[in-house]
Amino acid sequence: MTGTQTGAPKAGAAADIAAIEADFASLGYICNADIATSIFLSQRLEKPVLVEGPPGVGKTELAKATAQMLGKPLIRLQCYAGLDESKALYEWKYGKQLLYTQVLKEKLGDLMEGAKGLKESMTRLHEFDDTFFSEEFLEPRPLLKALWSQEGAVLLIDEIDKSDDEFEAFLLELLSDYQISVPELGTIRAKHTPIVFLTSNNTREIGDALKRRCLHLYIPFPDSDLEQRIIATRVPEVEANLRAELVAFVQGLRKLELKKQPAVSETIDWARTLVLLHARELDAELVRRTLNVLLKFQDDIDNVDSDVNALVAQSREASARLAG
Amino acid sequence: MSEVLADFIRALRSADVRISTSESIDAGRALALVGYDDRTTLRAALSQALAKSQDDKEAFGETFERFFAFDQFTRNPPSQDSSEDENDSGDEEKKGESGGMPGPGSGGLSGEREGDGAPQDDLAGLLASGDQAALQMALAEAARQVNLNRIRLFTQRGMYTRRMMEVMGLDALNDRIEGAERDGETVKAERMREARDGLREQVRDYVEKQLELFTKNTGRQLREEVLSQVRLSNVDRSDMRFLRIVVRKMAKRLVALHSRRKTVTRRGMLDVRRTIRANTGFDGLLFHTIWKKSKVDRPRVIAVCDVSGSVAQVSQFLLMFLYSVQEVLPEVRSFAFSGRLGEVTDIFKKSDLEKAMVETLREFGGGSTDYGQAFRDLEALAISGIDHSTTVLILGDARSNNGNPRADILKKIHARAKQVIWLNPEGKSLWNTGDSEMRALSPYCDRTVSCSTIRGLERVVSDLLRSAS
Repeated sequence: MTGTQTGAPKAGAAADIAAIEADFASLGYICNADIATSIFLSQRLEKPVLVEGPPGVGKTELAKATAQMLGKPLIRLQCYAGLDESKALYEWKYGKQLLYTQVLKEKLGDLMEGAKGLKESMTRLHEFDDTFFSEEFLEPRPLLKALWSQEGAVLLIDEIDKSDDEFEAFLLELLSDYQISVPELGTIRAKHTPIVFLTSNNTREIGDALKRRCLHLYIPFPDSDLEQRIIATRVPEVEANLRAELVAFVQGLRKLELKKQPAVSETIDWARTLVLLHARELDAELVRRTLNVLLKFQDDIDNVDSDVNALVAQSREASARLAG
Repeated sequence: MSEVLADFIRALRSADVRISTSESIDAGRALALVGYDDRTTLRAALSQALAKSQDDKEAFGETFERFFAFDQFTRNPPSQDSSEDENDSGDEEKKGESGGMPGPGSGGLSGEREGDGAPQDDLAGLLASGDQAALQMALAEAARQVNLNRIRLFTQRGMYTRRMMEVMGLDALNDRIEGAERDGETVKAERMREARDGLREQVRDYVEKQLELFTKNTGRQLREEVLSQVRLSNVDRSDMRFLRIVVRKMAKRLVALHSRRKTVTRRGMLDVRRTIRANTGFDGLLFHTIWKKSKVDRPRVIAVCDVSGSVAQVSQFLLMFLYSVQEVLPEVRSFAFSGRLGEVTDIFKKSDLEKAMVETLREFGGGSTDYGQAFRDLEALAISGIDHSTTVLILGDARSNNGNPRADILKKIHARAKQVIWLNPEGKSLWNTGDSEMRALSPYCDRTVSCSTIRGLERVVSDLLRSAS
């Protein structure tokens, strides 16, 4: 295998990963070892990370937390159908260029003063600095900003699956070599390799070429233990037994057939709601009244309605088991 | 180190995970960073570098567990331990004695393992000491020396087992057993013999697992290839479940291929309104020109399937195809008939395909085929839904039991629809023989296709999707 040295691994790998996890935790982003490993690898290998997973599990949040942890600016590019390079990469400042040509026209008289014949005029014109296509007239968009950034940056390309195929192809150069080509200027390289995150909700299959250039991180719904920790950090006001109950309830809910399963962000919202309502424990009536925080389709709410009693009983049991 | 990774990648590839060279390089770099120390970290790192979709992640998980499963010596405790359990603590001294016997051997153990090639003469000591980790390492080392990763056929199992035993020091062990017997230490000889046989079992088990790991899918891939080209009516019942997986796979490929909604630029047609809007910032000078575009619409499909007798088999897979590509073919209405025709769209939307098919067959299968009746019913049910963007797919053998096939209704449908495609599972030479009405019906079809294999169905569906773009 080329590129694989059989040298001893850096002893600190595990420690580094643990440190990343702890740093994230101190910023209020609770993650598992998988996620921390991906951050570790992306830093060391200088590779972009493609993050996939159901909506609301904290894909975008991961990029934000990373930027905060490293103390680097977060540059975000939201993708949508029809996004093209003039919005993502750069655009010429046409207005300024027009002004420049007008200034040039006025200066032309001075420049050509005393020139004999067409040939000499042309030589003089060529000697004149041509700045029409230069970086001064370049309006940087998010991708170029990330490359130009002095202290390095965290670049988040959000919901890449929403963009067109052409845009995906156009990202390849950036992702593999951290450089981009502007036809009029040549290649622009990154001053500091930015840390790149791409997120996708999997509304369409991402191309193989793009996947090949990235590390691939799949964030599933968190398990009960992790979700409890997340709630404890994000909504510290909620009491331990209620927290256990509500997490157990949401976990139970995810096992049902639903149009849209409640994500972590919805669990957090629900926990906040329950705190606002001064709830001390779950009961069926309370759950029914606040179900619309968790479920976003009326069909889902109707379907779950009959299961609420059983689910509440279940989550109470689970919570009691935890306490006992 | 890299050899282990290369083997692992080969195992992954045989489990249908596509891994490019650049990805294996990444995996190598990741591995150099994290090392083999921590299993979860190793797993996370390799999974991120190698498995890039959810299916891949699943396959990765399975393969990782099996590849890095060092469970060879955990189930059977080594002979020493078991004998200790049986006897009382009084045997403690004796154990010490026998364990200490091959003293020089166990002393050189660690040095031995590093030196390549030379068979280990301390196998007896290793077995007696019951050091599982050391045994596992010796086993892996032996496997490396005999190139176990080259194993291809199950008939090679015996040979590899034998060779691995030899590398691990079988001869020396045999000598020692003989020696013990000669010296009259029958108990010890017996114990060693037991250990040897146990080890042989372990090695064979290990070899089998590796065989499974590296060749698991070659047979399956061949089977997939063959089955997709066999006439569906000839496919054995036991293979049906397997074929469903094949169809699902093909459908997935089609979806990926056609998932992009195309817009066609009409060259030369300037979109004046949008051009002016885009250039207002530049004082009305036209920097950007915007051309008129038209979005290509996905076809609406009406599938009419004969579910009688042998045609049912093909119908089942056609419907399966159509409903598996729903992501790119959102509007499918399906009708099933043998005598009477009825809509089965809802059945297929609600329940999974297998159940839906059973229900469809119960409801509409079994009767004697009557195309006239079917077309009459179709006209009553769906003619208003057929317009210039509708593709009508009819699957059947056109054998109407000598009833009037009512070609006039098909003519009416043909006039309204974008296209009518007739799929006939029979070979072309059989059309128009007996009670087949293809001659009467084919004038009102844009295409008539003979199609009886999974491959054929795939082609039809693919064409259907392409015609949309």
